[in-house]
Amino acid sequence: MGCEITTRERAGVINPMYDCQPAGAQYAGIGVKDCIPLVHGGQGCTMFVRLLFAQHFKENFDVASTSLHEDSAVFGGHQRIQDGVMTLARRYPDLRVIPVITTCSTEVIGDDIEGNINVCNKMLKEEFPGRKVHVVPVHTPSFKNSQVGGYSECMQSMFKTIATAKVAPSGKLNLFPGWVNPGDVVLLKHYLKEMGIDGTVFMDTEDFDSPMLPDKSIHTHGRTTVEDIQASTGAMASVALARYEGASTATYLNQEFEVPAHIVSTPYGIGNTDKMLQKLSEITGKPIPESLVKERGIALDALQDLAHMFFANKKVALFGHPDLVIGLAEFCMEVELEPVLLLLGDDNSKYKKDPRILAMKDKVNWDMEVVCNADLWELEKRVTDPNYKIDLIMGHSKGRYVGIYNNVPMVRVGFPTFDRAGLYRKPTMGYAGAMELGEAIANTLFNHMEYNKEKEWILNTW
Amino acid sequence: MPMVLLNCDKDIPEREKHIYLKVDGEDSRDFLPVSNAPTLPGTLSERGCAFCGAKLVIGGVLKDTIQMIHGPIGCAYDTWHTKRYPTDNGHFNMKYVWSTDMKESHIVFGGEKRLEKSCHEAFDEMPDVKRMIIYTTCPTALIGDDIKAVAKKVMEERPDVDIFTVECPGFAGVSQSKGHHVLNIGWINEKVGQLDAEITSPYTMNFIGDFNIGGDTQLLQQYWDKLGIQVIAHFTGNGTYDDLRRMHKAQLNVVNCARSSGYIANELKKQYGIPRLDIDSWGFNYMAEGIRKICAFFGIEEKGEALLAEEFAKWKPQLDWYKERLKGTKMAIWTGGPRLWHWTKSVEDDLGVQVVAMSSKFGHQEDFEKVIARGQTGTYYIDDGNELEFFEIIDLVKPDVIFTGPRVGELVKKLHIPYVNGHGYHNGPYMGFEGFVNLARDMYNAVHNPLLKLAATDIRTGIATPVKEAAE
Repeated sequence: MGCEITTRERAGVINPMYDCQPAGAQYAGIGVKDCIPLVHGGQGCTMFVRLLFAQHFKENFDVASTSLHEDSAVFGGHQRIQDGVMTLARRYPDLRVIPVITTCSTEVIGDDIEGNINVCNKMLKEEFPGRKVHVVPVHTPSFKNSQVGGYSECMQSMFKTIATAKVAPSGKLNLFPGWVNPGDVVLLKHYLKEMGIDGTVFMDTEDFDSPMLPDKSIHTHGRTTVEDIQASTGAMASVALARYEGASTATYLNQEFEVPAHIVSTPYGIGNTDKMLQKLSEITGKPIPESLVKERGIALDALQDLAHMFFANKKVALFGHPDLVIGLAEFCMEVELEPVLLLLGDDNSKYKKDPRILAMKDKVNWDMEVVCNADLWELEKRVTDPNYKIDLIMGHSKGRYVGIYNNVPMVRVGFPTFDRAGLYRKPTMGYAGAMELGEAIANTLFNHMEYNKEKEWILNTW
Repeated sequence: MPMVLLNCDKDIPEREKHIYLKVDGEDSRDFLPVSNAPTLPGTLSERGCAFCGAKLVIGGVLKDTIQMIHGPIGCAYDTWHTKRYPTDNGHFNMKYVWSTDMKESHIVFGGEKRLEKSCHEAFDEMPDVKRMIIYTTCPTALIGDDIKAVAKKVMEERPDVDIFTVECPGFAGVSQSKGHHVLNIGWINEKVGQLDAEITSPYTMNFIGDFNIGGDTQLLQQYWDKLGIQVIAHFTGNGTYDDLRRMHKAQLNVVNCARSSGYIANELKKQYGIPRLDIDSWGFNYMAEGIRKICAFFGIEEKGEALLAEEFAKWKPQLDWYKERLKGTKMAIWTGGPRLWHWTKSVEDDLGVQVVAMSSKFGHQEDFEKVIARGQTGTYYIDDGNELEFFEIIDLVKPDVIFTGPRVGELVKKLHIPYVNGHGYHNGPYMGFEGFVNLARDMYNAVHNPLLKLAATDIRTGIATPVKEAAE
């Protein structure tokens, strides 16, 4: 009984859980309006990440490449940075932000990103005197960290470049949810509205779910503006919902502009959502309204039908982004599911000391394992081990074959979920997210019972 | 003015050399777009990298081979779950990817030890698998890790395994095309000729440049079985590592994708005297022509005609049903390169479809020579097209359907233009007779999707921009 925290022992990875840093940086970049990230590296570093976003959201996002070729790898890619920035600025007249995202190759070569950006800034000023294009240096060598850190790094770099002055206090709140779906952004904005809080979600990715319109206009882009980022320094506080994806920007705003920073438990599940709303109430002095008490009640009412009848004692394996996995484990415990395996997919040494993991350690009365720097082979090995019982897998689509080929039901959650329709539209956070997730788990288990003829007659009457 | 400078390209005038509008009386002797040239930075080019040309397109198709990618994690993550090439052994190739997960210290001190350890681990974890390809990536090439030496060492310690190495970092060449070349030449020089083949038929061939997308290889295999032709090696659809070491044992090399795999066919001719026969596997006329040529080579024409009669009886009526309804459809093709020339005339002849614009990511001069010879006048031929150019071209030619990848497909959806997956297919296979009916069916279902009519309607006014009516 108890929780063991281990680390992958193999040097190599079989089936990675996360993409590399530049991928995460690109995700943060596309959250800004009138922004096209420029990835300084080989073309694959951009092409595949655009494909990944398209797979998950079923949408196209614009990301450019400096198209590093062999000559640049030998002699340096300075000209390609400058050409890339100027070509983007010339062909996209509304463009206001260009994060220049480095990769492993250009960090090994050692291209002087800041120096080249200075040159670009001079050229931009000369060619476009009335226009400000923010060119942001983002250092994300692929051999450090992962997509999780890359997201954080790009977010922070954009704030450092754009939010350079303390503005007058606005009474607004900065909300950093981390790498979440549009469904979560919509939910968080709904909470702010219900509470009467004037807040800004960074990044506002609501339009990553965008319509087909009669006039054929395209609205698939981030909603966060340069002005939003500049105004962040005058906020009354920042609230970061993801310790590893966005908290660093809240800390930066605190250190540079004395905007109080609060890092709360990621609001997956009822209890974590309660804590977030109570914190928002405490910071702003606004009461939690009746409407949210009711939403909470509806979620509890739905989950109560499932927990001790269907979920209790079911053993769950979780993988994905660290804040998600930890939050989902906490949610599982609320509904009597037993998280037995938590897989965190990079070498961040802070996971082992995460207070949420330490708290779970004290709480569990079953065998639980947290594997840091894990790959999906760690999952597959345990799923195929006859002595290791796993009833349910929760994670993103890259683990799909583990579920399919071992006949273990799997709920898709996190990023990417390309093999299920429309998940990006649903919240995972908040009361509604907990309810959606609980019902997705139940229906997945029900399907499994039916297709495997395992006590499917139970549902004969429910 | 056959070379075209689009409005969106006024700031990058060099793009004029890459876009050709064919007019009456001209051919590729007069004008040929510049291709396989360095990409302009910041243009939102569609190109991928050389590493992916080797790993994702060719090597990663093999159904029995560990794909060890020596570099940071992204190169493995990104070239996994991005292809539809099943195998008959449960899709080992799509289920797994391997990486040495390079971190900063390995960049500083070298990654050879880590690679060696990762190779041993991979074989230990999957003891039934005995074959491996190791790929370099951008950073491991830059720091100069000697992957050949590591492969040699691992093979010495494990006599039952065989390892091939591909030194093709992402920055090599100007597109994925470079990776095709490196893998082709490496394989012929290092691996072909190593194993003997058990010959079970008087007629033997290699089938080259078909990657079992959507089951293409498996569909065509039915034809070869019926004709009694033994396929020594598939390069590389549903293929095995060891079969590819036996390529020298075939009497004939049949090439479908000349762009990705023509190199190895040329070398097999040069080094082993095996003739090369290029065919097109998409389209009724082309497929029939290809089968006739292959049968003529082996002197089994009658068998060939019997097969064609059977296939035509089965599939031609279905094709004609679609042809009747697709006639006059305007199609754009934005894919890698060769499918432009494979498809433009086959959809015209077999389905009455007009191809109005084509863009190639990595085609070379000979690909443009072929496509301009086969394609129509009034059609745009674009090398390395970018996003703004696509918008402008769409406006100029107004296609009814675009064969392209999923991401661009999502983009043009907003313009109410349906896409069909020109890389992985919507519901393949598309090769062969049955396959081309599948392509016709997918195109028909795309063009006649009722949602397009609804999307075009503004509910405030009730006015709709006209779209095609579904045929009865």
